[in-house]
Amino acid sequence: MSQLFLQAQPQLNFWNGLNGTTGLWIKILIGLALGVGLIFALMSAPTQTRRPIVAFVTFISGLFYVLYFFFPRPIDRQPGELPLDFVESVSFYIDDAFGVVTDFTAILSGLLLGLGIYSLLHVHVKRIIKAHQNWFFSVVLLVSMFMMTIVGYWDWITRRGEAGASLDDPANWSAINYTKDLMFDGLLQAMDAAMFSIIAFYILSAAYRAFRVRSVEATILLATALIVILSLMGAVEFLWNGMIDGMTGKDPGSVVNNLKLTEISKWLRDTVQGAAIRGIDFGVGIGALAMGLRLWLSLERGTGGGN
Amino acid sequence: MSLGEKLMSIPKWVLYLILIVVASVPLFIKIPVPNTPLEPAIDLYGTLMNIPEGSTVLIASDWTKSTRGESNGHFDALMKILMRKKIKACIYSSGDPQAPQVARDAIGVLNMERKAKGLPPYQRWNDWITVGYFPNAEACANAIANNVRVAFGGKTDYTPEGTSRDVFQSPVLKDIRKVSDFKLMMVITASKTSNITIERVYGKGVDLAMMVTGVMGPESLPYYSSGQLKGLAVGLKGVYDLEQMLESGITPGMSAKWGTVPGFPGDSNIGNGTRYYPTLHFCLTLLILAVIVGNVGMALSRKKAA
Repeated sequence: MSQLFLQAQPQLNFWNGLNGTTGLWIKILIGLALGVGLIFALMSAPTQTRRPIVAFVTFISGLFYVLYFFFPRPIDRQPGELPLDFVESVSFYIDDAFGVVTDFTAILSGLLLGLGIYSLLHVHVKRIIKAHQNWFFSVVLLVSMFMMTIVGYWDWITRRGEAGASLDDPANWSAINYTKDLMFDGLLQAMDAAMFSIIAFYILSAAYRAFRVRSVEATILLATALIVILSLMGAVEFLWNGMIDGMTGKDPGSVVNNLKLTEISKWLRDTVQGAAIRGIDFGVGIGALAMGLRLWLSLERGTGGGN
Repeated sequence: MSLGEKLMSIPKWVLYLILIVVASVPLFIKIPVPNTPLEPAIDLYGTLMNIPEGSTVLIASDWTKSTRGESNGHFDALMKILMRKKIKACIYSSGDPQAPQVARDAIGVLNMERKAKGLPPYQRWNDWITVGYFPNAEACANAIANNVRVAFGGKTDYTPEGTSRDVFQSPVLKDIRKVSDFKLMMVITASKTSNITIERVYGKGVDLAMMVTGVMGPESLPYYSSGQLKGLAVGLKGVYDLEQMLESGITPGMSAKWGTVPGFPGDSNIGNGTRYYPTLHFCLTLLILAVIVGNVGMALSRKKAA
């Protein structure tokens, strides 16, 4: 088994191939077909059969990372070095397997992209065929997706090989490169930015309607937010700190310097906000640990175990 | 309708219209804004300026144009320092599939600036490479921390002659054996990849620094306070801080830790920070006014009801 892991390292062997070669594409397609076949086989298997398989795979997958984090790690391991005892054998084994497991994780995450595309097609093609309300938007979505895919790959192909290097300079672009730039940078990225900028409108509306001094807690929150906001405004900070400097005669030892906007906001960030964030992170961490354990041991409903 | 009720019931479209005007006007007027760079940004600039010429940094570029105001400014400021100091960069992404292309485009724009000034380009393969997108941030950070040669194994990039070759044959990565061989690992992000990177890579012998959006700032600051980050730029203020230091450097009195660190006076240092900082001022002022108006309206209404 260790040999299998070593084979999966970057050196060229049965398990990989040179980027862009036919051999690699064939291996990818065979792997994809096997993966999809396995998924469908599991989906068509009875629940009683599927559950223990899923629970077993989940446990083994989780066990690897538990061992990776808690088992003693090899220190200053040299290439070709042999393990001295059982503990070192296991640690070498985990060390060698890590790259393979990481690749598997990346491949599975990549498959999720494919699953997303399948789901998108499934939902929207059905909407178009059955002429549901606003079916036209589904057409726009699918046309946009396919156009971006085709143009993106076409552009990628033109950038391969000797001519590719010259395309870093837009002066050498052809129509397809301009089309891809228009679609990616001119449309997709611009719409992305536009969508995000809409948040500014919601923030303003929420600040006007909801940020009210109704209790002591709300007042403290409002005052704190005001100080942090003002500290982000260089002009206000300049005037306020200038006023303090005027009062202290720029004496660095004066206690009044603590009233500078920068000092107050720094204290808020380091002492109040930092502590609060740490507390929240700690709580989230414990929650994630509990949830992780439930998932790992298949105790969570709908994960192969549980009721 | 009383004054209080009127103040509490300004229609949404009026608020939105005011916001559009307030956000747009400063873009057309050049307004110099005084600024004192924050300590995390000073530390970031000092750290970057102390990287030896010819060494390599690892950049996690996890931003897209949705946060272009902040992240594009961060990326530009970082790349300007690397280009001017002749530091090599290896770029990867694990936060968004669009991120590698966005980073390549941003470098392309900076290279056109250099070309216009008659400077040699920051050349792909010789000066920087991209190893692409990794679809699982946790697994990617783990792999980099464990063995960078395995993590980026099999990745290829193009030489200036157009030949596809293994990235570890490039001048950028040829001396990299493990993650600690990078002089710095820089994360530019608008998402949780900052936390993931710290959780997985911190303690592996490489210095970490980050450029995050204003939203991610509060989550990242505890890591700076604890010393796990060598420097941190947060939001648009962070961009403006960096651009200001690119122009005038770290001057005496700014930081006892760094003393004096030179800038690049007169070079093309102005970017998104300088362009958008006045807009941020105007919008934050509007936000404060909106809160005040809403609360005054509520107080007047309560007074009348009592």
